Amino acid sequence: MTAIRLHINGTVVADDVPPRLSLADFLRERRNLTGTHLGCEHGVCGACTVLVDGEPARSCLMLAVACDERAVETIEGFAGDPVIAALRRTFHQRHALQCGYCTPAMLITARDLILRRRAGSERDIRDGLAGNICRCTGYTNIVTAIAEAAGEIGEEAPHGQ
Amino acid sequence: MKAPAVDYVRPRSLAEAIDLLAHAPVEARVIAGGQSLVALMNLRLASPGLLIDIARLPELLEVADHSDAVILGACVTHAAIEDGRVADPSRGLMPRAAATLAYRAIRTRGTIGGSLALADPAAEWPAVLAALDAEVVLYGASGPRSLKCAEFATGIFQTKLAQREIVKSVRIPKLSGDARCGYVKLSRKSGEFASALAVVVADHRRGYSRVVSAAANGAPLVLEDISRLVGDGGRDPEALRNALDTDLDRASDRRFDEFQRTLHTVAAMRAVQQALA
Amino acid sequence: MANDRYGIGASLLRREDDRHLHGRGQFVPDIKLPGTMEVAFVRSPHAHARIRSVSVPPEARRRVFTAADLPGVKPIRVTSHSTGAKSPPWPPLATDKVRYVGEAIAACIAPSRGEAEDLANAVAVDFEILDAVIDAPRDMRGSRHPIHEQWADNLYIEHGLEGGDIDAAARAAAVTVTREFRMQRQSGAPLECRGVLAYRDHRLDEVVIYASTQTPHAVRVALAEILDLEERRIRVVAPDVGGGFGPKARLYPEEVILAALALQLDHPVRWIEDRGEHLLTCAHTRDHHYKVTAYADRDGRILGVDAEIVVDAGAYGLWPQGPYHEASMVARALPGPYTFPNYRARHYTVATNKTPLGPYRGVGRPGACFAIERLIDEVARALGRDPNEVRVRNLVRPEQMPFATVGGLRLDSGDYPASVGMCAELLGLPAVRARQQQGELDGRKIGIGFAAFAEQTAHGAAEFASRGASIIPGFESCTARILTDGSVVLMVGIQSHGQGLETALAQVAAEELGIDPARISVRHGDTESTAFGFGTFASRSMVMSGGAVARASRMLRDKLCRIGAHLLQCEVAEVRCGDGVVAGPRGSVTIAEIAKVAHLRMDGLPQGVDPLLDATATYEPAISTGVFSYATHGAVVAVDPETGFVELLDYAVAEDCGTMVNPMLVEGQIRGGVVQGIGTALYEEIPYDEAGQPLAGTLADYLLPGAAELPAIKIGHLHTPTPHTEYGMKGMGEGGAVAPPAAIANAVRDALSALGAEVNETPITPRRVLAAIRRAREGVPGHV
Repeated sequence: MTAIRLHINGTVVADDVPPRLSLADFLRERRNLTGTHLGCEHGVCGACTVLVDGEPARSCLMLAVACDERAVETIEGFAGDPVIAALRRTFHQRHALQCGYCTPAMLITARDLILRRRAGSERDIRDGLAGNICRCTGYTNIVTAIAEAAGEIGEEAPHGQ
Repeated sequence: MKAPAVDYVRPRSLAEAIDLLAHAPVEARVIAGGQSLVALMNLRLASPGLLIDIARLPELLEVADHSDAVILGACVTHAAIEDGRVADPSRGLMPRAAATLAYRAIRTRGTIGGSLALADPAAEWPAVLAALDAEVVLYGASGPRSLKCAEFATGIFQTKLAQREIVKSVRIPKLSGDARCGYVKLSRKSGEFASALAVVVADHRRGYSRVVSAAANGAPLVLEDISRLVGDGGRDPEALRNALDTDLDRASDRRFDEFQRTLHTVAAMRAVQQALA
Repeated sequence: MANDRYGIGASLLRREDDRHLHGRGQFVPDIKLPGTMEVAFVRSPHAHARIRSVSVPPEARRRVFTAADLPGVKPIRVTSHSTGAKSPPWPPLATDKVRYVGEAIAACIAPSRGEAEDLANAVAVDFEILDAVIDAPRDMRGSRHPIHEQWADNLYIEHGLEGGDIDAAARAAAVTVTREFRMQRQSGAPLECRGVLAYRDHRLDEVVIYASTQTPHAVRVALAEILDLEERRIRVVAPDVGGGFGPKARLYPEEVILAALALQLDHPVRWIEDRGEHLLTCAHTRDHHYKVTAYADRDGRILGVDAEIVVDAGAYGLWPQGPYHEASMVARALPGPYTFPNYRARHYTVATNKTPLGPYRGVGRPGACFAIERLIDEVARALGRDPNEVRVRNLVRPEQMPFATVGGLRLDSGDYPASVGMCAELLGLPAVRARQQQGELDGRKIGIGFAAFAEQTAHGAAEFASRGASIIPGFESCTARILTDGSVVLMVGIQSHGQGLETALAQVAAEELGIDPARISVRHGDTESTAFGFGTFASRSMVMSGGAVARASRMLRDKLCRIGAHLLQCEVAEVRCGDGVVAGPRGSVTIAEIAKVAHLRMDGLPQGVDPLLDATATYEPAISTGVFSYATHGAVVAVDPETGFVELLDYAVAEDCGTMVNPMLVEGQIRGGVVQGIGTALYEEIPYDEAGQPLAGTLADYLLPGAAELPAIKIGHLHTPTPHTEYGMKGMGEGGAVAPPAAIANAVRDALSALGAEVNETPITPRRVLAAIRRAREGVPGHV
């Protein structure tokens, strides 16, 4: 077991974990933060995407031990975040989710696209979503919802992280 | 699947990392971004026993911008290169290639050194760095040594990296202002590994040109004849095609089937056209 | 409609969204019970082998379970009433033999999944390897090592279907077109893999099984039979389910084993399928081989079709329906919505040493559509006519409805030819043709292709009985309950896993009761709280469950009116229920007030009216042969003739599903189905090697379409309410996935028409496109 100490959604968390434990399993099984989902555990489907030190990362491909002293944000966080709030609104209004399994990761990825100003066109958004599989919606409404939220956030988006 | 049991240590300096590696069991692995290694562990295709975490070593994150070359530490991430957050010696080729590598969430953690050390035949960096005539600096118990990237990978997942050595940095010569590049990655789905990859660098001012093919059933393939023709200013499509055919015929050990041969031919010709445009 | 805001036809936003947008969904892996032990399975690495022995490390003996350790578990057995159907017993843990790579041999238990896998790796199994049967057409009549020893061949069933006089049609034909078609094996690949969490509830004397399933009540029926337990002692719950699409509408060995372990061990046990396991062991789908001939006259009228259909159904039958419906469904759907009167189909469902085959969005229809729509295009080309001209010439016309196709499908209503025109308009056909004329700067070839189809939905007793099914999902149920404060609960037997039925069913009740859907909860997926129902599959839920909700709601409405009239001291005929009240000539009373009387002040009830506001109803449509949605799909592609790469530039659907309860949800289902169909058409396959090893074990090999590969999907609607259901609605959940392989293959054909190349196999990969171009150049006649 290895001692780790990290930030999760702004709160300091200390724990002892086996090195083999992925960040995803640490979040889901040890911290009961089950909004982050597992769809493949080999980095392709994107359902496990969280923020690590402000950047999207595959929690299935990160070891919890390697996140020592890092800051992790999951869908359960983002309190007061205006970009996530806008995306939640537009996803709801545009029917951009069906079973909901890909949704937390989609929101986190979409927020990153908007903040990096890569949500300005349908092409950009579609390319930016390449790493997030959805099996239910066919993506059309997800793209529309992100474009709308990006438009709302517009010039107020802080550049980069 | 879940990864097999493993031990983990995070050294605070390169010297400490090398020392740990020198005394570790032979299966031990350094881990940087982990985007390939953890995936392999999750599939139970790798069981290193001990992971030595080098991702945050300051020596491996250094970036030096010299007059004739840029040196990127091994742990510089693909995203940092994609975003232009580190000096770019390649006049846009490297950021362009980085953007086609897997997905953003992989790129924020995966590293250029990790890509070189793994030597996946379809990977982007080994091919791009070979095309740029870059050098890889390796570091072991006896200190650093330098090899040409074009000679570093020797086969599928095989390199000249010695047992207790790690990749420390990559030294990339700067392209001239009027250098031309081509980059063609053929894949069915955005972010997946290439079915065929071709990289062209034509830097006439420095008298340098190279055409490299990857996803070629082995180490990146330097295509000598067409490289030379491009360097000589050749533009005739038929001549270029003949030179390419000669190069690909010579690479018979790669055992391309007809489809692969076709894709590699098309990728290389199109990449050359980009560089000539 | 009673209420434009929230009744039938309103695009009401979904109540499901809130929890998912905040990561508060509750999928099986999210449910935590103290003391849960994780399960990993020892699975066969061989496609066909006898098990000589299983060696467990002595210290792990109590944590590894083979079939011998669970003697109370009976084999899974599918019953079919079709003539000649053979049904092999399927022991949930292998006993003497394994018959596909991935078949479960032992269950290993440990505090964590990783440790359970460590344990599974320590179990040694000694095998005697047998030949693997992997070529269904070649080996259907027998093989050196039979898969099921009691069988004289490798056929689950073979059957035929005939109408008219196909030989006469052949003789009269001016044009004869024969093609072989191949749909490669696929996975349904929902984003959430399967999962089971099971435990004993001592207070209720039940075993509780949480499962990522589309059919909880059916699973309970099966478990009761296999574990020899009374159903009242089994509870099955499907919580949030991350996609189903058909593969989760079947019983699996893992569900049986986890329930058995929970009973034996008396602590919770959990098995969460990982993606590799899913690609290996969750139902495989499609895997069809056809040889089909179309006969036509010189005007492009199809005279008849002759077909041989082979379905590679894998090693066992998945309960309850087994593999028996897939090939017969292809045979019945192959004539499409066309009026030709002469037909012959022979179909063969073959056992092979591969993963068992199950239903997946469209089931037999995508393959049938692929074949007939490609043939329509080839007949047109043979005659020098436009494919849509031939299509429309042969499509059933509105004035011919209802029309029984020669495949035996009774199309009830609709204007199919109009959908062809609408689809062409959505894609801007003239502009696409003009672009084709101009040519592309990058040398790619543009093509446009269409495909029309009929989608049988909400079919019931007659249809399933004709398929020989022993379980007939011919109805759905609803218990509607108004609580003492006037809020409403609908308890339904279906299981919504993305379709938005928590919203759409509330709309139906809102329509009938005049209560805001915001005050209506929908409970589904739990055998504890819902009357028996079959689940969500076969495009049935909105019609069947919606119909039951409507009936139960009306029963409640009638009671509300009786009590309300009594409270208002007027005649029942004088009151109206709506907008949250029962209103009469001299005033109104709220539903909450009525509910209080019905529960808390029953002394206020009229003579002859019992307390409670609780109604249970079942529903089946007026006809059980199905109500048919239909559509024409169109695709515009750019094909790179040098690399074979196909890019999808545009895609449109012109569809008719009758009355749409929630148009927003309908369009979501269409788009989702279309993209899965695009996956079938261009990306997804699980090839097997000669030894029976599947070759796509991760999502790096098994490619799922992502947003970057896709255009926006355009949709146009026609509206032909069916006379046979509540509100005139039809099912439509699967239709989106039916036509894309055909439309895209036709578009590729169009793009490469100058080269004469055609691809009649899915997925249409660059390799297959280049091979087709080469074949055309070499003058090989069009086959696969």
